[in-house]
Amino acid sequence: MRDLYQRLAVSPEANDQEISQAVASCQHSALRQDAEAVFAIAERRETYDTLHDTVSDIGRLRARLGLSHGAHWQGDVANDFSLPPDHAISRHDELVDRVSHAVSLYNRWRRLRGPWLLIAVFAAGAGIGIALGLALCLGLLPM
Amino acid sequence: MSIARFSPFELLLLKSRSQVDTATLLLLAWVLVHRQHVSEGQRRRRLAQVTAQFRHGHELGPVISIAHSQDLQAIQLAAEVVRKECGTERSLSVLHQAITVATDDGELSLANHYILRFLADLLNVAPITLSTLFKELTGTPLAPPEDPSRDAYWQTHDPDYHARKAREAEAAEQQHQQANARAEQQQRKKEQRHQQKQQKQQEKQQRQEQARQAREQEQQRQREQTRQQEQARQRQQQQREQAEREQQRSRQQGSRQQHHQEHRNRQQRASPPPPDRTARALSVLGLTPGATRIEVRHAYRRMAQLHHPDRFYSESEQQVALASARFQRIKNAYDYLMQTY
Repeated sequence: MRDLYQRLAVSPEANDQEISQAVASCQHSALRQDAEAVFAIAERRETYDTLHDTVSDIGRLRARLGLSHGAHWQGDVANDFSLPPDHAISRHDELVDRVSHAVSLYNRWRRLRGPWLLIAVFAAGAGIGIALGLALCLGLLPM
Repeated sequence: MSIARFSPFELLLLKSRSQVDTATLLLLAWVLVHRQHVSEGQRRRRLAQVTAQFRHGHELGPVISIAHSQDLQAIQLAAEVVRKECGTERSLSVLHQAITVATDDGELSLANHYILRFLADLLNVAPITLSTLFKELTGTPLAPPEDPSRDAYWQTHDPDYHARKAREAEAAEQQHQQANARAEQQQRKKEQRHQQKQQKQQEKQQRQEQARQAREQEQQRQREQTRQQEQARQRQQQQREQAEREQQRSRQQGSRQQHHQEHRNRQQRASPPPPDRTARALSVLGLTPGATRIEVRHAYRRMAQLHHPDRFYSESEQQVALASARFQRIKNAYDYLMQTY
């Protein structure tokens, strides 16, 4: 499995016309024959594209997991689909970070709930008292 | 701190009773999704069957839908969990399950070739172990994956297309031959008619030609006379010009020489460059005529370094081919110059 798009220097999203141009201008006759066989027919290109997507996904996974030089990843595939390691951190570490962040938020809420509840009850009581007093004042005057 | 919410798979993993089992489940579902000619219900039943011993304690539906969406981040997370938690024994059993899920009917899809090998690398299983395991489970050795980026693959997997093409080519050739035969017949008829006409014309022409020859002889005689007269006139003129030129030369010799050289230069520039192979070879190396052997060698080294095909190896094959054509031209020029200099 080779990456024909990379070898022809076109993007995988290129339309048929661009690809046929690239194929026609290719100087490597064996590569040109292979590319013609794959890209001349729409169904074949579709089949090739799905496999191409899967294999490039695997290439990305291998780069992120540090498996770009595995024993099972050699030859044309490894040449064409290996990516340089990007600086994405480990997904598991990220998950652990986020869980611990959520836990700390939750704990803070639990810890602060007592005092905040007291303040809320006090404020509610005061509000009700003021309202009652006002009502009493207004109710008493006409009496 | 990221403000992203937890993804469906992360939630599933957090809720799961056994994280390894959930992660393995996703990887197996990923393998199943890449199996061809299997319906959705069959996939789900097969996954439930294989993972009957798992202790994850959640539904299979969400896992399958995540695998269908090809969520790379979820798969990466699952792979990390599996790698972190699996010992040697567990990793072999995971690979065992993956192979059975991938090849129930003995056929391994191309994508699963690569996925199985990825899992083997992830679980630190050597190629020999993988191939023996595969042979034990399926009865056939693990062949290297076929390559759909080559013409040979399509010759074997799409023979209908090639047969159709060959038939079309044959039909086209037959038509062509028939058309040719018809055209030949018409041509033959035409030629016969033409020959008859020609015979008549030839007789006429012979008569006309005799008359013309007589006329031409007379004209030639006249032309010779006029040419002799003209030659005499030209000789007189040349003598006069020579006298004038000698006068001028005695007057201003220095300035005349300069002028003469300029004139010659201009003539050279105006006329097309002579087909001189040496000059062309020198221009390929970026040199002007009159360069020394050492200069040629230095120029060749510089150009060869600049245009060597190995420099373009990391770019596309097309670039390599172009560079090798350039390099060949430079090398030919250099070889020629080294022979002649």
